[in-house]
Amino acid sequence: MSDNKEQTFFTALSDAVLNMDEGTVEEIAHRVIKEKIDAYRAIENGLVDGMNRAGQLFEDEEYFIPEILLCSDAMYAGLNILNPYINREQQRTRKKVVIGVVEGDTHDIGKNLVKTLLDAAGFEVIDLGRDVQPRQIVDAAIAEHADVIALSTLMTTTMDGMAAVVQILQESGQRDAFKVIVGGGPISQTFADRIGADGYAPSAPAAVKLLHKLFKDSIYV
Amino acid sequence: MSDSTINRLALKKDALFPLQRLHAYAQGLPVDRLPCVPIVGNTAARVLGVTVSSLRNNGKSLADAQVASYRRFGYDNIRVFTDLYTIAEGMGARIRVPEDETAFLAEPAIESVSRISGLRPVDPWRDGVLPEHLEAIKRVVQEVGNEVPVTAALTGPFTNASFLIGAVNLSRLVLKDPASVHSLCKLSLESALAYAEAIFDAGGMPSLTDAMSSSSVISPKQFEEFSYPYLKTLVDYIHSKSRPATLHICGKTSPIWDKMADTRADCISIDNDANLLDAKKKIGHRVRLMGNVHPSAIMLQGTPQDIRREVFKCVIAAHDNPKGFVVASGCSLPTETPFENIDAMLDAVRETGYPVNAGLLEEIVNNSL
Repeated sequence: MSDNKEQTFFTALSDAVLNMDEGTVEEIAHRVIKEKIDAYRAIENGLVDGMNRAGQLFEDEEYFIPEILLCSDAMYAGLNILNPYINREQQRTRKKVVIGVVEGDTHDIGKNLVKTLLDAAGFEVIDLGRDVQPRQIVDAAIAEHADVIALSTLMTTTMDGMAAVVQILQESGQRDAFKVIVGGGPISQTFADRIGADGYAPSAPAAVKLLHKLFKDSIYV
Repeated sequence: MSDSTINRLALKKDALFPLQRLHAYAQGLPVDRLPCVPIVGNTAARVLGVTVSSLRNNGKSLADAQVASYRRFGYDNIRVFTDLYTIAEGMGARIRVPEDETAFLAEPAIESVSRISGLRPVDPWRDGVLPEHLEAIKRVVQEVGNEVPVTAALTGPFTNASFLIGAVNLSRLVLKDPASVHSLCKLSLESALAYAEAIFDAGGMPSLTDAMSSSSVISPKQFEEFSYPYLKTLVDYIHSKSRPATLHICGKTSPIWDKMADTRADCISIDNDANLLDAKKKIGHRVRLMGNVHPSAIMLQGTPQDIRREVFKCVIAAHDNPKGFVVASGCSLPTETPFENIDAMLDAVRETGYPVNAGLLEEIVNNSL
């Protein structure tokens, strides 16, 4: 298989993700398997590349939440097909993010977006769903040996839950075990500083950049 | 240097009732100060000293809290509001009501488009907590309706549609099944019109709020297709009652300002992701502007000095807006916003007085940096 031909597949996957074309992603993913093209590289250079391009369009305000959701649907459709074909030695341990919308808040659009983009950026993301209590978030982060706790809210009314997560970590002497990042409409850098979070991201693409900064660009443990 | 000693203008007491002030301001007549609306929601429970949940389904408590809050702070608009979900709840969405926090959506009314046909518009005099909210409006109007406008929050159809089928679902449908989105919006519009009529019958005025229509969520094109026509119908309805319409959309809105003004809304309330000066330049000749002190970073967490400074900045930016300006928070205030911060907002506006001396305010802002 020539590099050129491989690249054609990768580009087609990337384009299909960007174009929100789930059917084409699946079709190409099956052909990748059939042609015995490296599944890991197809994910990295195809699916993830497409999602990164979509994230850029979101940042540029050309794509909005509906488009990003369909791009991520397409990406996950391809991942489902390609993931079983990844070689074991390619599976390095990636940094793990536990993500949740804090208690009392079911505005999970933002969280889904952060999850998708972090996933695409190579982090391992454990989604705790919505309306999780601060204690549950901390317990899950400990049980999962997570590196990051990411909290989101779109409501001013539920910001106290975020402070509670940091407080529980401090009281149990585990604050240093995790990076805590917060985001969402009503949140600000001031708020993040006040509750003692490690960082604040105003948007989903910014959350990816923030983690890259906090970890000096390494997604691996 | 303490900004309070040197650069403090004379703090004048309010000379007018809100209705007098708003009426005179609209006519271009002299007023004591600019109108000011810290958007108080469940903070009213704190003023009355009761739990947040005790307001939601009790017209008397809700009215008592809103009246107490108005009397405590002296702002220019009462808005009967507990959460955005009251209409969706009346249509079958499941709402969770924590003891002392704002209610939230637990489950949307339906899970798939196949169930849309089972949805019905609300009867506001019967469904969910709406009858209690109407009762609250009546009571507030009876008590203070002769001095202050009494409004009730009316959730926009696109936002309500997101509560009916879930925000993520709705976002996908926007691209995959536009017809179903319109069906949900139409049902939501029927509910909104019914509730708007009931609000008028109770003596109040609807005030439109449409969080999901934000350019932080959908594109300007999607706004034009799925939000605009329904908002326009509601604004037309409010105008048919010879009342002014206020439209609030959260988050980023600059790409849709023109369309928001096209709804013929009289006043547009903008959030912190939007810039008052830009809004003034773009649509200030068409609509009154309202905004936009940050509800959490400043109003919840700032000091009274921070609030004074931010209010002055807003006033400097928009006091000369051709269609007028209302100093306000960018969005509903968090429940635990300190009273002294709300006082600080009103006091800063009182201190500003009218007509506004923008040069002097700029000096004060610069000295306080």
